[in-house]
Amino acid sequence: MSETKVTRGWADQDKPRTMHSELLEINMGPQHPATHGVLRLLVKTDGEIVHSVTPYLGYLHRCAEKIAEGCDWRQWMVYTDRFDYLAPMNMNFGYAVAVENMLGVEVPERAEHIRVICAELQRIASHLIAVGTFGLDMGAWTPLLYCFREREEILNIFERLSGGRMLYNYFDVGGVRFDAYDGFEADVLRMVNVMEQKLVEYNTLLSYNKIFIERTADVGVIDVDTCHQYGCTGPVLRGAGTPFDCRKDDPYSIYDRFEFDVPYGTGEQGTVGDCWDRYMVRVRECFESCRIIRQAVAAMPGGDVMSPDLKKLVKVPAGSLYTRTESSKGEIGFHIFADGGSKPFRNKVRSPSYSNLHVIEKVGPGMMVSDLVATVGSLDIVLGEIDR
Amino acid sequence: MEAAAIHALLTEKLGDAVLDVIDSFEKGSVIAAGSIAEACRLLRDEPALHFDQLMCLTGVDWDGYDESGKGKSVDILGYDELGRPEKSDRVGEGDLGVYYACYSSRHGHKYTLAVRVPRDAAQIPTVSGVWATAAWHEREAYDLVGMTFSGHPDLRRILLEDGWVGHPLRKDYVMPDQWQGVPLQGQDYAKNPFSEDDVVLPARPGQEG
Repeated sequence: MSETKVTRGWADQDKPRTMHSELLEINMGPQHPATHGVLRLLVKTDGEIVHSVTPYLGYLHRCAEKIAEGCDWRQWMVYTDRFDYLAPMNMNFGYAVAVENMLGVEVPERAEHIRVICAELQRIASHLIAVGTFGLDMGAWTPLLYCFREREEILNIFERLSGGRMLYNYFDVGGVRFDAYDGFEADVLRMVNVMEQKLVEYNTLLSYNKIFIERTADVGVIDVDTCHQYGCTGPVLRGAGTPFDCRKDDPYSIYDRFEFDVPYGTGEQGTVGDCWDRYMVRVRECFESCRIIRQAVAAMPGGDVMSPDLKKLVKVPAGSLYTRTESSKGEIGFHIFADGGSKPFRNKVRSPSYSNLHVIEKVGPGMMVSDLVATVGSLDIVLGEIDR
Repeated sequence: MEAAAIHALLTEKLGDAVLDVIDSFEKGSVIAAGSIAEACRLLRDEPALHFDQLMCLTGVDWDGYDESGKGKSVDILGYDELGRPEKSDRVGEGDLGVYYACYSSRHGHKYTLAVRVPRDAAQIPTVSGVWATAAWHEREAYDLVGMTFSGHPDLRRILLEDGWVGHPLRKDYVMPDQWQGVPLQGQDYAKNPFSEDDVVLPARPGQEG
């Protein structure tokens, strides 16, 4: 019986070749659940390894900054809702604070407390989506449904408060549009009580699930220097081990009155700054938000909710200012150029997801394709604010 | 470090390249366009400054800005009520500018740099080598304001499609009627395909519902 020689290409070579194959281009998106919106990632892969990632943005671009030139200062608030449609209250807050800083207007105490409660509830709602969809990216269906169940309770409160379920347009320059309804505080406290118990359940369900940890620990590590270089903020920066939070380190509104901690990544399950750390920062922030809400509800005074010395048509004094606040995704900044008139000359939005997504160009190459999905999921991007 | 001290330090190191001081709501310095990369590098590397983060990079079209502070820019530009340039043949004449809002995570101070260049020579050096995040912000400034950054590794449009005509955040920008055969405004855009009457559709594609 004669021996047949198996020819396998590389097996016939004298020297073993390094296992490189031809680069393959894959489009991740624009319609792909793992991109969290209409985002296209052009991924070049070498086998299963990512060689380069190039994001293509702009599918949701509306040029809200151009629209601002035709609105007066208050009218543009409604467009800030649409940037981060998962956390519109935080966007409203950022713009309101930015304009008020230039106007130098005093916001009534009651309005400040309602604002903080809304912003923190919204942060929880947004993080619930982040946690749920991240679990979904990792193949865990169930947590998403529970997360949406709890988010629904928050949306119900917002609906009674503002009339909207997704886009609220509730904050206004100088205060909030309507006073809180009777029983608002009780609703919020009930929600917080439920939330704190449910978060513990999520931890047992997802956070410390062995499969979930295997998929996320040591994956997509982003260190502090990279975060600073690429302008990453929010849970991405805190996940990298830096407890930086605009609410604490660059306080605005009345956040300096409340007692809360800033969670940060410690590499508990793997390396500092991996996907699990970023995920866990969000879960822990929900606990901290509950703490802030309790204090704000306890200290809530009566009185006006809109600054009385502000006219309907505000005129911002000429000048420029960059103001940043902490949204659920990171640092939302408004760079405002005013000419002294009733319309903005130029409103620039610095959105956190924009910078957070940029870092994928740096950390993407070298990881497995499945880890790329995990990393994009852990960045928690919202395309509405990237494309604006 | 106080803003005045930072300005003095920059003036000492850069000399004539520091043109002016920004004394608005935010504090900063106006830098000569050619020296902006050098100034940014100084901000980052000088231990007393240590501006390791670029919070925001903003491109501005100063065309028609009312310097008097009375807020007549819209009148100067001749915009209509919806903020659109009424006269399509109006030629923009003001400068273009770029603002750099920096923050130091070590010292906790903020500072703003600005450059201003004439409209017909809108080119400044890139700072993407100083802060990597500037790469995308500069692409956005190029896309929407039309500022060119020399030495940029990948200067393409980022939010608009490749091949889009014009830069929307310029004050003399006129929205094209159609792009690659797709009507963007005017009669064709507002036409309801199911009716003889011209009806303005309630939903535009960009409104997400």
